[in-house]
Amino acid sequence: MKAFRANLLVCAGTGCVSNRSFKVKLALEEEIRRRNLEDEVLVVATGCQGFCERGPIVIHWPDGIFYQRVSEEEIPMLIEEHLLKGRPYKPLMYTPTAVEAPIPKLTDIDFFKYQRLIVLRNRGIIDPEVIDDYIANEGYMALHKTLTGKTPDGVIDEVTMSGLRGRGGAGFLTGLKWGICSKARDPEKYIVCNADEGDPGAFMDRSVLEADPHAVIEGMAIGAYAIGAQTGYVYVRDEYPLACQRITKAIRQAEDYGLLGNRIFDTDFSFGIHVVRGAGAFVCGEETALMASIEGRMGRPRQRPPFPAQKGLWGHPTNINNVETWANVPIIMMRGADWYASIGTEKSKGTKIFSLVGKVNNTGLVEVPMGISLKELVYDIGGGIIGGKELKAVQSGGPSGGMIPKELMDLPVDYERLAEAGSIMGSGGLIVMDETNCMVDIAKYFLAFTTDESCGKCTPCRVGTKAMWNILDDITRGRGKKSDIDLLNEIAVNVKNLSLCGLGQTAPNPVLTMIRYFRDELEAHINQRQCPTDTCEKIAPAPCQKACPIGMDVPTYVALIAQRRFDEALEVIRWDNPLPAVCGRVCPHGCEYECKRATVDTPISICSLKRFVMDYERSRGADVVPKKEAPRKERVAVVGSGPAGLTVAHDLALFGYGVTVFEALPEAGGMLRSGIPGYRLPRDILNIEIDAIRNLGVEIRTKSRVGRDGIGLDDLKKQFDAVFLGVGAHRGLKLEVMGEDKFDGCLDCIAFLKSVNIDRQLNKPGDRVAIIGGGNAAMDAARTALRLGCSEVNVIYRRSRTEMPADPSEIEAATEEGIMFHYLTQPTQILGEKGKVTGIECIRTQLGEPDSSGRRRPVPVKGSEFVVSCDAVIPAISQEPDLDFLPKEHGFKITKWNTFDVDPDKLETSIPGVFAGGDTVTGPATVIEAIAAGQRAAVAVHNYLSKGEDLKDYRVPRSYKKVPRIDLTDEEKSTLRRPDMPHIPVAERKSLFSEVALGFDIEAAVSEAKRCLRCDQE
Amino acid sequence: MVSSIINGQKVECEEGTTVLEAIRSLGIHVPTLCYHEALTAYGACRLCVVEVITNGRKRLAASCVYPIEDGLEIITDSPEVQSARKATMEFLLARSPDSTYLRERAEKEFGITQLRFVLEPEDRSDCILCGLCVRACAEIVGVSAIDFVQRGIKSQVEPPFLKGSDVCIGCGTCVLVCPTGYIKVEHLSRIAAVHEFPRYGTENVSDHAIKCRVCGAYHLGPAYPKDYEKLFTNV
Repeated sequence: MKAFRANLLVCAGTGCVSNRSFKVKLALEEEIRRRNLEDEVLVVATGCQGFCERGPIVIHWPDGIFYQRVSEEEIPMLIEEHLLKGRPYKPLMYTPTAVEAPIPKLTDIDFFKYQRLIVLRNRGIIDPEVIDDYIANEGYMALHKTLTGKTPDGVIDEVTMSGLRGRGGAGFLTGLKWGICSKARDPEKYIVCNADEGDPGAFMDRSVLEADPHAVIEGMAIGAYAIGAQTGYVYVRDEYPLACQRITKAIRQAEDYGLLGNRIFDTDFSFGIHVVRGAGAFVCGEETALMASIEGRMGRPRQRPPFPAQKGLWGHPTNINNVETWANVPIIMMRGADWYASIGTEKSKGTKIFSLVGKVNNTGLVEVPMGISLKELVYDIGGGIIGGKELKAVQSGGPSGGMIPKELMDLPVDYERLAEAGSIMGSGGLIVMDETNCMVDIAKYFLAFTTDESCGKCTPCRVGTKAMWNILDDITRGRGKKSDIDLLNEIAVNVKNLSLCGLGQTAPNPVLTMIRYFRDELEAHINQRQCPTDTCEKIAPAPCQKACPIGMDVPTYVALIAQRRFDEALEVIRWDNPLPAVCGRVCPHGCEYECKRATVDTPISICSLKRFVMDYERSRGADVVPKKEAPRKERVAVVGSGPAGLTVAHDLALFGYGVTVFEALPEAGGMLRSGIPGYRLPRDILNIEIDAIRNLGVEIRTKSRVGRDGIGLDDLKKQFDAVFLGVGAHRGLKLEVMGEDKFDGCLDCIAFLKSVNIDRQLNKPGDRVAIIGGGNAAMDAARTALRLGCSEVNVIYRRSRTEMPADPSEIEAATEEGIMFHYLTQPTQILGEKGKVTGIECIRTQLGEPDSSGRRRPVPVKGSEFVVSCDAVIPAISQEPDLDFLPKEHGFKITKWNTFDVDPDKLETSIPGVFAGGDTVTGPATVIEAIAAGQRAAVAVHNYLSKGEDLKDYRVPRSYKKVPRIDLTDEEKSTLRRPDMPHIPVAERKSLFSEVALGFDIEAAVSEAKRCLRCDQE
Repeated sequence: MVSSIINGQKVECEEGTTVLEAIRSLGIHVPTLCYHEALTAYGACRLCVVEVITNGRKRLAASCVYPIEDGLEIITDSPEVQSARKATMEFLLARSPDSTYLRERAEKEFGITQLRFVLEPEDRSDCILCGLCVRACAEIVGVSAIDFVQRGIKSQVEPPFLKGSDVCIGCGTCVLVCPTGYIKVEHLSRIAAVHEFPRYGTENVSDHAIKCRVCGAYHLGPAYPKDYEKLFTNV
């Protein structure tokens, strides 16, 4: 053989080849020719070096210099520097992260330093396509030694004593397996090499076949001799073209050399190997399915026993081992069982090949002694986590294995220890995950794989894997339920215990370990609807749902309306909202301002759609009563029957508590009744919703003013286990201008509305009225005054229409009805004669710099004063809570806005057991915000009363149902428009109580709902 | 003869007997679904699971395909077995919630009246994939006009390439053997490429039909001319 001064070993494993290593090889040969070095330097293509991430790899032998990420362009420099000038070429050397100087020698690189190569002893050294290279490295000597010096039983003893166990993952003692098959009394026997590796992230068997195919052939020949088989099969998946090609070529070379065929080494032993290409079904890695596939049948497993050793290929005894197991055999026969058994742990002997992938710096193929810790694998060999992030878990065994959390990183690589942790050794896939990986998502990913690869024969695997995937999918989309964890666990255990083959028996492992080690993360998905790593994008609510203070499941009920499933829409609405028909009329619908449809044309009429469902369903007698929990003994007093108080009462009644509501006025409803006029919120609608709450067992005591009419706050605290204060903000703020207290005809807006709405005082406040303010209360006062017969109604507002806080549709309706608006106008004093109001002096303003509310501050224009003549002035600028009901020494902390100071999380006041929410805490706000406060307070009251046990979570936006998207016709796509809300004609709007907005009919609602873009889905 | 222990009772039976046969010979009830005594056992539905103890290791295994071994210990009615069978029935129902046959059995034999989970509509079917039709077509009729296609939850029973089979003789055995009534007579025209079926009694059918290995008669379709005729009169 010719000797060369230097060998350049070019990695020709799959990773490097796909990084153009064959091009690099050609370029090297070209450059060597050009420099006339052909007689001195040899370029060799080798099997996988393992450090795949750094490919293409070239190693200079004998210097042992490791060149990485070699490109064709750099070849001339490399050759000139290293081979002509004798200076190893630094730019192509490997520099680990956080290290500055490059490491020239392969043996000094951490990735290689800690490995122990037994199976892969020839990797990167020999050309796998040249049998002489293998033979030159003691190849086929083990076979010769065995055939000429050992009995078959002697071989089996040797392999048994070595402690070699199946490297396919199950870890059955190889020698024992051979022994069973060798004892079978059948002259026809088979052996099989299982190279149907197919789990994501695993490429051990592929690399062994590519790097050293003769080791596998030699191992199989030794096994065949021991067992008494004449024929062997290598079952390799067709997706591994290089492996198929190299093993096929190697078999041919071995046959040419007489190392396969008849009378090998002139003994009586004859043996041949066939290659069978698998079509790429994961289940065919299962031995009974694999045999079915070799026989030409569908790759579906069958129950064992009978085991292949009893009844295998075509009914004959068959021994199946994995590629890596076979490749271990020659060296065991060469060096002996004692030597082999000296490596590893007590029960796991030898080495194990892993494909180290995922979020680790050094990705690649490594061979390590059994017993090495996962920590050493990830940190010493793997070089730690990419980007300095924190390790979270390692998945061994691919989709059949389990997640091993970072707390268990001291765990040694050992069949039994990995199984105790809920994982498996598996065939050697090792996927490293960092803090940014969502474990729920990872479990779902692996399940998707096993669901797809399940053959479908046995029921538990076929249905159970998909059922688990569906549950996980729901959880990652915010549809998870608390009971899901137990159900998931139960299904997983059943699939594990009941499935026919290993695929199903191990498929639940990722789910089970996820529940075992990452339950917090799973619970966050379900209970808080949050993905801690922000991986599950669709878990976040759609923009409309996010905008809603109570997180109503808008996308679901809108989708249900579009599909005419109104009864289900009703359910979804009722689960979230105790006052839906009220909200369908008076909610300021922040959801619509966030609606993504607005970027196409106009937002969805979410508010009116909700009203439609409630009106339609109730008109046909349908309603939904949410389920009540078992009764509890504690009783809660609620002061005030506005939206906050009603909601607290509603939710606490559902939790099982006895609730009594104290209302000062003769009728319940708070501001809903005293403030909002009937033409906007009809009384029968309000009554239905309040009655529904009464029907839950809530007692509402009207005309019961706490603090004055006998019952004091202290009495409530004594008689009840907890108290909620929802007294609202009913005291109008004064204008603080001259003349305000001097003349008759100055009315407080809230008092005015209450006198009309509750006391039925239907006398007009004056003939010509001026309302001061721009909110909904001002609009209500103005439109009510008009209905009472005032001949002229003026609204005076100090900013422009754009800044006006009232609902645009209210302003529009008021304008239609003939109300006069004076924008950019500010009152300066109230004028009067003989003790009666005669007018209001105003000044024009212009908008200046924004104030703390973000709106531009009105600045008076000097000398622009003018007078609006009128005989009544109704300021409607803002309100504050009326706290007169409190005793003198009440002990509550009160803010400077005269509201209750509460814990923002629990809504508990400074007095334990007394909670407050709604306008009385926030100042004047919206109905929906009061409902949100009520829902929060109900949970807080429950948690207070349950004293640390059976705690409830605050409500989070839920997605209740999976409603598939419907396809729209082209015509629908082009013609759907937001429908106008039908109103009664202006001329007919005389009555205080006929509702102005008529609501959508069925067709308008359905076509409107169809416009929804379904942001909740992909 | 091999001896085994079933629910603590020693049982002698011939080699080659399955665990299910041994259990049933004692008159003990074991629910089955994909099992038919005239056909090769298949071991897929998992309804017939029992606990088997080998080398001190206890595990669940399908009794219909488990060969009886010397010294094998079998438990047929432990709580584990009961709950495993119930779980299997739940899995079956999750795919076939509309199957009257399954629902009735689930309620009667396992007390299941409510489903805790069901698959998505696209994954549902009244075909429970028991494979009785596939095996009957292969072993009784001897033609293998239908087989499983696809895999996992997408599995279904179809003629090759989802095209009419040119070996189907239209005997209706698959219709008769189908426990859920999923395969209907009307389907035969889709299964068979040739729509002109030979009628019972014609040479063509008896040529193809083979004897039942259990009772020696033409056990299924062609054995009951009345049923067979009835099947076709409604077409």
